[in-house]
Amino acid sequence: MPTDTKRVRGPDVSQSPVLLGYKPAAVLASRGPREDGRQRDQVDVRPVFVRCGLVSQAKGSAYIEAGNTKLISCVYGPRETDRKDETDMKSGRLTTDVRFAPFSCPERVPWIQGSQDKDLSLMLHESLQPAVCLQRYPRSQIDVSVMVLENSGSALAHAVTCASLALADAGIEMYDLVLGCSLQQVGSSYVVDPSYLEENGWRCNSSESRGGLTVAFLPSLNQISGLQSDGEMSEETLTAGVRTCIEGCYKLYPVIQKVLTKAVRRAAPPST
Amino acid sequence: MATVQVSEAEKVYILHGIRDDLRVDGRGCEDYRHMEIETDVVSNTDGSAKVTLGHTAVLVGVKAEIGKPRPMIPNEGYLEFFVDCSANATPEFEGRGGEELGTNLSNVLYKVFSNKHSLDLHSLSISPGEHCWVLYVDVLLLQCDGNLYDAISIAIKAALFNTKIPRVNITSDDEGGKEIELSDDPYDCMRVNVENVPCIVTLCKVGHRHVVDATLQEKACSVASLIIAVTHNGTITCSRKVGGGSLDPESIFEMTETGKRVGKALHAPLMKLLQQEESLSKKRVRVGFLC
Repeated sequence: MPTDTKRVRGPDVSQSPVLLGYKPAAVLASRGPREDGRQRDQVDVRPVFVRCGLVSQAKGSAYIEAGNTKLISCVYGPRETDRKDETDMKSGRLTTDVRFAPFSCPERVPWIQGSQDKDLSLMLHESLQPAVCLQRYPRSQIDVSVMVLENSGSALAHAVTCASLALADAGIEMYDLVLGCSLQQVGSSYVVDPSYLEENGWRCNSSESRGGLTVAFLPSLNQISGLQSDGEMSEETLTAGVRTCIEGCYKLYPVIQKVLTKAVRRAAPPST
Repeated sequence: MATVQVSEAEKVYILHGIRDDLRVDGRGCEDYRHMEIETDVVSNTDGSAKVTLGHTAVLVGVKAEIGKPRPMIPNEGYLEFFVDCSANATPEFEGRGGEELGTNLSNVLYKVFSNKHSLDLHSLSISPGEHCWVLYVDVLLLQCDGNLYDAISIAIKAALFNTKIPRVNITSDDEGGKEIELSDDPYDCMRVNVENVPCIVTLCKVGHRHVVDATLQEKACSVASLIIAVTHNGTITCSRKVGGGSLDPESIFEMTETGKRVGKALHAPLMKLLQQEESLSKKRVRVGFLC
């Protein structure tokens, strides 16, 4: 386990008091309206606040806020690739990096990239790669980084949306935007765009089977570029869940398009 | 990942073959290659299994150790997965080369087992909040010829079936101190119920069709694959798109359906085989380890 010696890491073993007095049953009902007043069994995504181009040093950047989930994404490149030994020089390389700020979750997250972050980076990479015209950038590398400032559920789905927006803002040639949407299945009902508690409360709760699903979708090409599910789901619920997530992505689409046109207008005001 | 060079002409040949439900090695689109399973192969583990699938060879060892349960779930034990890509499999894995693939594979395994029914974690508890069994599942890739996920999941199921956890007794003295006592009898052990342990099915999209258990050549022709973990009753515990391409929603639904059907059919013969081998136990003739 590599450690960063330059940072003060606090005591080796410590526990968040949250873990000891954890009582999720009180907040998680599998019936009735959701904690934040949204509807169950409906494509009720949280309203998002999106903005492009807020990091001036980066080639492109985006910020997304959905409920309390806040993410920032930056794109650097295309620049000369680090790895000279790569055999395939005809197309460019896309690197992704997802990190959680130490204070982003109820429990403190260590600075060192853990296996969960690596997994999310890989998922992000696989979701974005089909959308980027990498063959237009031979011998070069495009770096995408996503920082989760506050995690209130559906981090991966919003990371995908945010990163594709940052790529578009950077002027990287793409086939399509990539939008993410996630869903949590609780017994026979489902919640779209789950909050942190809805996402992680399943461990301790009743006997109902639960499952999580995240879909990355290219809306104008009608292609799924990323799919991940865990927990327990039947084939029917999984199929229905994928359809619901696609619907959720379409709800997000006009907002993202609008933000992007706004950013383009601001960068180059129309000369009349 | 080990890769092979496939020329354009070869790709076209493979693609056209698969379109007509005929693969290079004569299989149909939903057939597995020849599979060999052997359990109890490494004596120093609590359970082990070796699976060869075509030219893919995987060795899994399960070691049980006593640890402290996680604070959020004090009355359950847990599993730890580690996948090691040995440099034997391909020179690319030398040094830290196989690390990335190893973490990817183990992350998928954590996802596959992250539900309440895959394995009865309550049975791994010794005393709530204090001690529990931690099962270290170590996977070693000996040879890579495509379809690692399926081979690994089958090997893990076989190794867990084979796992024998020693029975422990907890004695508490007058002052409330607790002591763990290991049973003297080596045959006095606890078994893990593997009935609900899922198997992973990887479906490779090649052209307009999808194939099960793709070889490296076939994998080189496909842009994206879907992995699905299916239990014996058809519950899907994990699904994931891997590879650089994207898939049409309709083909994802088709692939899920095929994956479920193929995965479900895998369990019964596997359990039968494992039980058969178990009943042989001492009578089994062992010839060599890897051949």
